[in-house]
Amino acid sequence: MTPIIFKNVTKTYYTSKGKYGLLKDALSQMVSPLSGKGSSPKPTVVALKNVSFEVKKGEALGIIGRNGAGKTTILKLISRITYPQSGKVKAEGRIGAFIELGAGLHHELTGRENIFLYGAILGMKKKEIQEKFDDIVDFAEIRKFLDIPIKKYSSGMYSRLGFSVCAFCNPDILLVDEVLAVGDINFQKKCLTKMRSFARGKTIVFVSHDLDAIENISSKVMYLDRGKIIKIGKPKDVISLYKKTAKKELIDY
Amino acid sequence: MNIWISELWRFRELLWAFTLKEIKIRYKQTILGIGWAILQPAALTLIFTVIFGVFLKVHSGSVPYPIFVYSALLPWTFFSTAISFGALSVVNNGGLVTKVYFPREVMPLSAVGAAFFDFLMASLIFILMMIFYKTSVNLNILYLFIIVPSILLFTTGISLILSTINVLYRDVRFVIPLLMQIWLYLSPVIYSLDQVPPKYKGWVAINPLVGLVQGFRDVTILGKIPDFGILSFSIITSLVVFILGYWFFKKKERIFADVI
Repeated sequence: MTPIIFKNVTKTYYTSKGKYGLLKDALSQMVSPLSGKGSSPKPTVVALKNVSFEVKKGEALGIIGRNGAGKTTILKLISRITYPQSGKVKAEGRIGAFIELGAGLHHELTGRENIFLYGAILGMKKKEIQEKFDDIVDFAEIRKFLDIPIKKYSSGMYSRLGFSVCAFCNPDILLVDEVLAVGDINFQKKCLTKMRSFARGKTIVFVSHDLDAIENISSKVMYLDRGKIIKIGKPKDVISLYKKTAKKELIDY
Repeated sequence: MNIWISELWRFRELLWAFTLKEIKIRYKQTILGIGWAILQPAALTLIFTVIFGVFLKVHSGSVPYPIFVYSALLPWTFFSTAISFGALSVVNNGGLVTKVYFPREVMPLSAVGAAFFDFLMASLIFILMMIFYKTSVNLNILYLFIIVPSILLFTTGISLILSTINVLYRDVRFVIPLLMQIWLYLSPVIYSLDQVPPKYKGWVAINPLVGLVQGFRDVTILGKIPDFGILSFSIITSLVVFILGYWFFKKKERIFADVI
């Protein structure tokens, strides 16, 4: 069973002024050919170039690469937040995209209300949230603060709430984008343990600059550079290639 | 269209959660709480009665001006609140759009849902007014079962269209308050449709809210059968606007996360 398949995927972002943004710019762009100015070329950024790979059920794929390599774009394509210009993306099952913890939490609502809201955003049914409610509250250690608006929470409590709901949302595919650094030491340990228990039976795609965490959790690693896959393979091999390449660039620089 | 509906159905609990959130956050920080839903149409009724009812002596037919204007302000306020919030809903939730997958129409739909809740609250006052002014109610009020859904469809369609345009062209949001102001005067809220000179009536009735708002007033406090010609035009137009609006939204939805 292959929950994630990328086939010849190309993703382009348009960055031109006037295509979308402000109506007044779009209108002036339409008018400018008449006024004699030449039409400016449409600036684009090719985030992914003809990328193909697969992630089988139970595999944990770590993605590493420089900033701007296209790592977050891959996560966005898997979770259907954006769509490719060409090629095919297949991702089956419930997807838990932990691309930013707490996206959708509203500061006026209480912790309790936000658990239900955030759970719903992550795709959980209300019944499911009710059943897991106590577990979520205990994991996040916010039992005493449940009925206070979260605008009064500390940033640690806020992150714990977010992570806790995510931890129990039980997706088939887990997408993680560098969000593991929350809470104090104890909580971090809890999170890492929870992440590793996820690894059993689920499919994970994990983006991080923390190479130790990548080596720890991944069953295979992909090195991405400027939209192209440089290497996919055993974590140790790919990570050392990445380190060598980065070092070389640093020296040249 | 079927895929969209079934996908939205999959996320029905999220739609409910979002609508609940919209309602709660609107009232959490206000002293009046739910009173805000009633304050807007009530305050407008007061000022319109003074200016248009008393100063300008606009005719209100067989009923006193206050309930004449409130009966139209009720559906109108629903429309303008839903549009004002709905048009901005996707952009305001931009953080979610770039991070989590769900059918994006959940956002404008929840704005429409929250506005509908306000409408229901304000209807309670309307019923009290009907008792107070002893207006005649007859079976024609059952027409509300087609009028109100049509208003819902039209409002949703416009919400979807405007929220899409606002994502693509961010300065559109400045036009919306002006648009609502103009639309208020183009709809028979302060006046009655039969006060419009015959040569302009046809043009004015192109606005679907004309048939719907006038119909709403006719069947609730005037006990009249609505003008079927204008009303059926409004109903059909509402349906068309909804379908086109939904289609337009879903077509552009794919690039929302890239553009927000």
